[in-house]
Amino acid sequence: MTTVSVDGLRVSYGKRIVFDDLDLELGVGVHGLLGPNGAGKTTLMRVLATVLRPDRGDVRLLGHHIGNPSALRQARRQLGYLPQAFGFYPRFTVREFVEYFAWLKEMPPARIPLAVDRAIERVGLLERADDRMKHLSGGMLRRAGIAQAIVNDPRLLLLDEPTAGLDPEQRVQFRALLRELGLDAVVLVSTHLVEDVVAACTRVNLVDGGRLVFTGLPDELIAAGGDDDSGDSPIERGYTAVLQGARTAPR
Amino acid sequence: MTGFHVDAGVLTAYVEGSLADVDAWSVEAHLDRCVACRMSIAPDASTALVLDAVAVSLGSRLPTQGRVRRATASRRIRVLVGAGPAARGAWLLSVAVTAVLTAGLAVSPTVVPPWLLLLIAPALPAVGTALSYGRRTDPLHELVAGTPQGGLRIVLWRTLAVLAVAAPVAVLAGAVTGVGTPGWWLLPCVALTALTLALGSLIEPAYAAVVVAGAWAVVVLAPPVGGVVVLVSSVPGWLGVTAAAAVVVYVRRERVGRQPA
Repeated sequence: MTTVSVDGLRVSYGKRIVFDDLDLELGVGVHGLLGPNGAGKTTLMRVLATVLRPDRGDVRLLGHHIGNPSALRQARRQLGYLPQAFGFYPRFTVREFVEYFAWLKEMPPARIPLAVDRAIERVGLLERADDRMKHLSGGMLRRAGIAQAIVNDPRLLLLDEPTAGLDPEQRVQFRALLRELGLDAVVLVSTHLVEDVVAACTRVNLVDGGRLVFTGLPDELIAAGGDDDSGDSPIERGYTAVLQGARTAPR
Repeated sequence: MTGFHVDAGVLTAYVEGSLADVDAWSVEAHLDRCVACRMSIAPDASTALVLDAVAVSLGSRLPTQGRVRRATASRRIRVLVGAGPAARGAWLLSVAVTAVLTAGLAVSPTVVPPWLLLLIAPALPAVGTALSYGRRTDPLHELVAGTPQGGLRIVLWRTLAVLAVAAPVAVLAGAVTGVGTPGWWLLPCVALTALTLALGSLIEPAYAAVVVAGAWAVVVLAPPVGGVVVLVSSVPGWLGVTAAAAVVVYVRRERVGRQPA
């Protein structure tokens, strides 16, 4: 079973409630996660990455209830996660960095050496595989981060702002990789660039004010926008129209 | 692709050019669609040479393979234990500090009084352990926390790394000070480290280390100096503390090394 289902999710930091009663269903494919700053995109990613424990709610990843420790471990083996900001050990080479995560994800040892190189190759970093992390540029670091996320061929891949710091050419290559990964895995990509969504996502989810205000095809989001909505492209107009509608509608 | 494949004899005849034109066309049409039949045509000697040369030139264009390590059990232990530079830093710190103090004490007990060594040596592994994980001190914390080996497992690996170096140094310190039997110095080392792990499941590990080290300082400094020997020699006491901390760590194992929400 390759799905994610979230039911009645509540997350808060102290007194500030980020999500209250959020429901979400994701199937195989590339899902865009859109929303204004502070809407809770990163919080949702961290809950699904099993890094942040929700106050309440039922979260099932790939058929595993994350409340159950042994099921949680099973789910984590099939999970790939790229946080928005991540640190690294400066003296690690790219290959050591990715290998470290292959071991942490409890991959079968026989698969590790090839899987490490394949992941590095898929993000186009093979030429720099033996360079130390401290010598990489920002875009290369992000690609190394993507490599560790995909090294175990995850069934659930969570990428928080993966295109930040990539140049236009790398962004195009990355979208092609996304489409390839989305063929047999659940891929959730949070982004503030709506053009990423049109180019690579099969479905779009829009969160605002702790609620899921839209879920559907990119074309449906485009169709929601009218000529008098603000935005430079059809999907931007759809995005603002849905947000406006959600904010004026009674709760 | 299709259930139908060209008969081997017909294929041979096609390669040799001895088929009638009409038959050759239909074989070609099939070969276009069928990978299996295409693969079963052995290239002749000259074609094989060209293919080999192409393979070599393609291979030489790939970047060098680098050092792909075989994934053995020992490699796993090396990666998991040695990976955290935070843990490596803690090693260096504990070894350097304790070695300097031990040397100082060996030179003259008046320069470095024994109680100072007793204060520092057992607390160092606790501090080192706490620094090797946790949101504030481990740059990879967020990434590691979402992996199956994250949390308690990786914390124990790193604890092992710190203790492996710090504990022998503490024993050496015990030998030099003459306070208790050297082997007994291991007990406070392990107990304070276990306490830090237990407390680290409730609050930020770095703060847990500060609390434990602070409590240890109070215990060492508060009573008259004669009480120190009793303190270090109290085997059941230390075992009790270690056991209690281990129970807490086990009960709260899902919270160790993961951020409290």
